[in-house]
Amino acid sequence: MSGRVIVVTSGKGGVGKTTATANIGVALASTGASVALVDMDIGLRNLDILMGLENRVVYNLVDVVEEKCKLRQALVKDKRLPSLCLLPAAQTRDKSAVNAEQMKKLSDELKTMFDYVLIDSPAGIESGFQNAIAGASEAVVICTPEMSAVRDADRVIGLLEARKEEIGQYRLIINRIRPQMVKSNDMMSVQDVLEILSVKLLGVVPEDDEVIVSTNKGEPLSGGENVRAGQAYRNIAQRLKGEEVPFLDLDSLNATWLSKVVSFFNPTARV
Amino acid sequence: MQVLNWFFRTKGDDVRTRAKDRMRLMLIHDRLELPPDRLASLEEELIAVVSRYFEIDRDTTRFDLQQYERRAALVANFPLLRSKS
Repeated sequence: MSGRVIVVTSGKGGVGKTTATANIGVALASTGASVALVDMDIGLRNLDILMGLENRVVYNLVDVVEEKCKLRQALVKDKRLPSLCLLPAAQTRDKSAVNAEQMKKLSDELKTMFDYVLIDSPAGIESGFQNAIAGASEAVVICTPEMSAVRDADRVIGLLEARKEEIGQYRLIINRIRPQMVKSNDMMSVQDVLEILSVKLLGVVPEDDEVIVSTNKGEPLSGGENVRAGQAYRNIAQRLKGEEVPFLDLDSLNATWLSKVVSFFNPTARV
Repeated sequence: MQVLNWFFRTKGDDVRTRAKDRMRLMLIHDRLELPPDRLASLEEELIAVVSRYFEIDRDTTRFDLQQYERRAALVANFPLLRSKS
């Protein structure tokens, strides 16, 4: 088996990298694919909490690299999905505990075991980021429609472009978009951000309180079909698998009965 | 007042457009690693060179950076009035 190693990165912190990694991982595994989630944020581990697996962590990524345990011993099985595993970061070490070469070797081993290896990169563009992209052949860049996030995403895209040989493609997820604010011209739209960054779009995730709720439960995507952000992540997973899925109609998310009538007659109002 | 503002707001002066314009300019400078005063001094020098050959209309001279995909282009427009002998 040779799986795909996809790094999830952003430059700026707090834009939703870890949340996206957890949700995309669950969405992919729900389709039957085998998925490993790798937390590369050594010293600031969080992916285990989002997955609700914090009590099951025994070994971590640094233990594997330092050969204190076998890779299989460090992988934590998801509570709900048998084809989903987490490789946790070490909490008491720092970014210098591993190097790019070791990460490449680890990624190569993981892709013989899983269909998808999703690497949750730390914020920043220093060694932690460089290690996170070392073994990846694809990247997902996350940004929110804020100026600082877009600027940092642009920097990361520049760095990814410089490694075209290794990282064959990168696509953008625009997170926490607020359709109402875009409508009142108080926030950059999806189209604005795409024009500025000139990059391919992988998905659009609307701001959604349910994301906080499912995080607090430690169960990504637990809200079911009606959660908007959840649907967005399921669509993203399908696009990663190569399926054509239309982008969410953001206008209908905050729809009043009147706007629903309008969009019925004018269905082109999509992003 | 808010209602009036909304009513009379013309395209281009809203927060979204301002953010987009600032963003564009900032990223062009970021990508080229261009110091903020560099463009102004280039403009001055170019005007000086062109002025040796032509009288130019300084009021309608345009000089700016535009974005094409992830590249930038320098777009200069010097309206010429007459050639100098």
